[in-house]
Amino acid sequence: MKLLLVILVTLLSEANQLYSDGSYAEAAKAYEEIIAEQPNSEAYYNLGNAYFKQDELAQAILAYERCLRLDPRNKDAKYNLAFAQSRIIDNVEDNQAFFIKSWLQAIRNTLREKTWMNISIITFLLVLIGFLLFALSKEQWLRKTAFYVALVSLIISISSCANAGSLHRRDNLRQEAIITQGIVNVKASPDRSGTELFTLHEGTKVTIHETLGDWCNIHVGNNVGWMKISSLERI
Amino acid sequence: MTKLRYILITLFALVIGISLHSEEVEFRAQAPSQVVVGKPFQLTYSINQRAKDLQAPEFTDFDYLAGPYTSQSSSTSFVNGKRTSSFQLTYTYTLMATKEGSFTIQPAKISVGSDRYTSNGVRITVLPADNPQQPSSVAGQQATSNTQTASTASSTSSENIFVRTIVSKTKVHEQEAILLSYKLYFAGVDVAQLTNNTKLPEYTGFLKQDIEQGEIQTELEHYNGRNYQTATLYRTLLYPQHSGDIVIDPATFEAVLRVQTRAQVRSIFDDFFGSYTNVTKALKAPGVTIHVQSLPSGKPAGFSGGVGRFTMASAISGTELKTNEAVTIKIDIQGTGNMKLLKTPTVDWPEGFEAYDPKVNNNFKTTTNGVSGKKEIEYLAIPRASGDYVIPAIAYSYFDTQDNQYKTLRTPEYTLHVIKGSGDSDATQAVVQNFVNKEDVQQFGSDIRYIHTNTDKTRTKAESGLVFGSLTYWMCYLIPLLLAIVLLIVFHKKIRENADLTRVRYKKANKVAQKRLKQAKKLLSEGNKTAFYEEIERAAVSYLSDRLSIPTADLSKDKIAEILRSKNISEELIQQATEVVSTAEFARYAPSADSQMQTLYDMTTELINQLENQNL
Repeated sequence: MKLLLVILVTLLSEANQLYSDGSYAEAAKAYEEIIAEQPNSEAYYNLGNAYFKQDELAQAILAYERCLRLDPRNKDAKYNLAFAQSRIIDNVEDNQAFFIKSWLQAIRNTLREKTWMNISIITFLLVLIGFLLFALSKEQWLRKTAFYVALVSLIISISSCANAGSLHRRDNLRQEAIITQGIVNVKASPDRSGTELFTLHEGTKVTIHETLGDWCNIHVGNNVGWMKISSLERI
Repeated sequence: MTKLRYILITLFALVIGISLHSEEVEFRAQAPSQVVVGKPFQLTYSINQRAKDLQAPEFTDFDYLAGPYTSQSSSTSFVNGKRTSSFQLTYTYTLMATKEGSFTIQPAKISVGSDRYTSNGVRITVLPADNPQQPSSVAGQQATSNTQTASTASSTSSENIFVRTIVSKTKVHEQEAILLSYKLYFAGVDVAQLTNNTKLPEYTGFLKQDIEQGEIQTELEHYNGRNYQTATLYRTLLYPQHSGDIVIDPATFEAVLRVQTRAQVRSIFDDFFGSYTNVTKALKAPGVTIHVQSLPSGKPAGFSGGVGRFTMASAISGTELKTNEAVTIKIDIQGTGNMKLLKTPTVDWPEGFEAYDPKVNNNFKTTTNGVSGKKEIEYLAIPRASGDYVIPAIAYSYFDTQDNQYKTLRTPEYTLHVIKGSGDSDATQAVVQNFVNKEDVQQFGSDIRYIHTNTDKTRTKAESGLVFGSLTYWMCYLIPLLLAIVLLIVFHKKIRENADLTRVRYKKANKVAQKRLKQAKKLLSEGNKTAFYEEIERAAVSYLSDRLSIPTADLSKDKIAEILRSKNISEELIQQATEVVSTAEFARYAPSADSQMQTLYDMTTELINQLENQNL
């Protein structure tokens, strides 16, 4: 593992050299190789930049999203993702999402699944310790403090567990995807002759709800439709 | 004696000096630049000093007919008391060309005093003789009929006088200069003058740049087998503005010809003096079509619009600067082409520089190849903040008409080091400046942030460790929970002890006491003395114990009094409390009369009620 990391660092710096020389296509290839070896946030971030410089918005957005999956608090990746998203054609507004839902989602996305799990377990231990202290202590103030600590910890523990579960679901089902094809016609039914409902452009983020053969049912904003799986890539 | 000789020599030298240095020697050879085979012409050598021993070169390519004839002239004039004299000595040779071609007559030599001078060589183009098939002017005149009209018609025929339209190129690129000239050809006719009645076409599709020309001079030219006197009437540079075939319409000129009239009444003087009439003749110069190619695709980014051939030079006034000291960059664009349409390149001054509009100085000359000259551009800027700045190279692209490709000229990149000027705040030093022009960080462009080169923060995908929803994960909750439950069971006794009994007792004290008093009353009516006293004592003691949070074992009369006193209970009530406790305690062992029992009961009830009101 240690040796692998050393190799990774040298490979990364080689790829970075290619990037700073302006040969973005070669740099992107080098980052892809590194990711194939060992997916990591920095390689994804730099890959996103290399794709952005080649004006491949969809691939850049995909790389930034993947970087943020591994390192949700990477400010530069967030900035560049927003920058890339500002350049895509589709302006999707999710009116359906209730604002509390989006807040909760935003909170959820600030940390990784692993971190949420750790927080949940630690706070659960705090709950138990607090409760024991409350039961065993004679001191009035200690009992009171322990009681409240236990109560708050219990709330945090349960919500963290829920966040971890939600992230686990998201990452395992891989429902979110980015459209990689320049322009996609979204149909009403999963076949070629289906009525065209709307068109989406490269770089737009959609949610896959169902797959059927090589078609998938996608939700984007308030719109629902079917499109070919080959024209998008799961994050 | 020697002194006198010295003076004489000096004077003599002065006189000679004046005469010798009055004018510089000028020895020139002159001959027409074009001659026709078989026609004599004159070659003259002229010198402005008295000279001798002219040594003419050998006239190898020409037939020597006569000469040298010597002539000399001199003139002296006084103007404002100044004496000017000129002298001219001329040797004239008459020569004749024998074969066509271009020949050079070697310089001649001559002696002035003891010095020898050499003339210039003369280059002569020999044109072929008139083609005999062509109707020559002489023949035309000889064949004139008796009528005036006929003679006029033939002598002014378009073979004898015409205007040609000459363009330097008919296939050009956009913006590439072409030279258009109208040339008058005449032979055997006498052109008196050209009228102003000239009609030039519009030259639509071209940018026109006239070439100034001085007096019209005639030259001999062999054209279509005949020698003509030629004169360039008008010359202009044309810059095509769009691609395609552009037609230049015909132009019209007008000339006045002198034609000899053969009057019906012939006298002997006619041939001597003749009689001439002026005939106006319109001369039409034919139109031409110019094939204009568009510039090839792939124009570079900094394309200046220039077509031709240019060079660029740049200079900067200094790279070590102080704030508020001006710096200038001078760019010279030199070359030939459509100079007038050249865009002024822009200098990208970095932030912190106050840039002024560039000063452009054009110095163009219109030549037959196009406009050539120099465009001097001076950029002035004043650094307002110290620091190191880089002025990027200026790329200036043009289309090279000789190599048929775009070329880019580049100025060097300048690195400026600006330090804070010393005189920056001298003037304002007296006044305390308590305001600073704060500037927000200005965002000019936006781009993604740069790649991360520091790989320390790399986070890889977590492969090992806990997995959400796995048994291990849930065990992390379950095991501590079970542990806690075990602990609770182990310590359940202590927990119960620790549970807040004192508080409960305090709250329940009155209730318990009332209950005991009730029991006591029942025992009193039954006459059970021992049990009654026991109940009363318990009621009083346990009430006090609960209310004052003192274990029953520690409860003594003194302790009760002490604590009650500390709680600001009246002395009377304290007395009562201690009495109740001591009476009940005492009576347990020595039971007294019934009336006493009733009093004790009343006293205890009253005590508890009163203490309850005191809100301990």
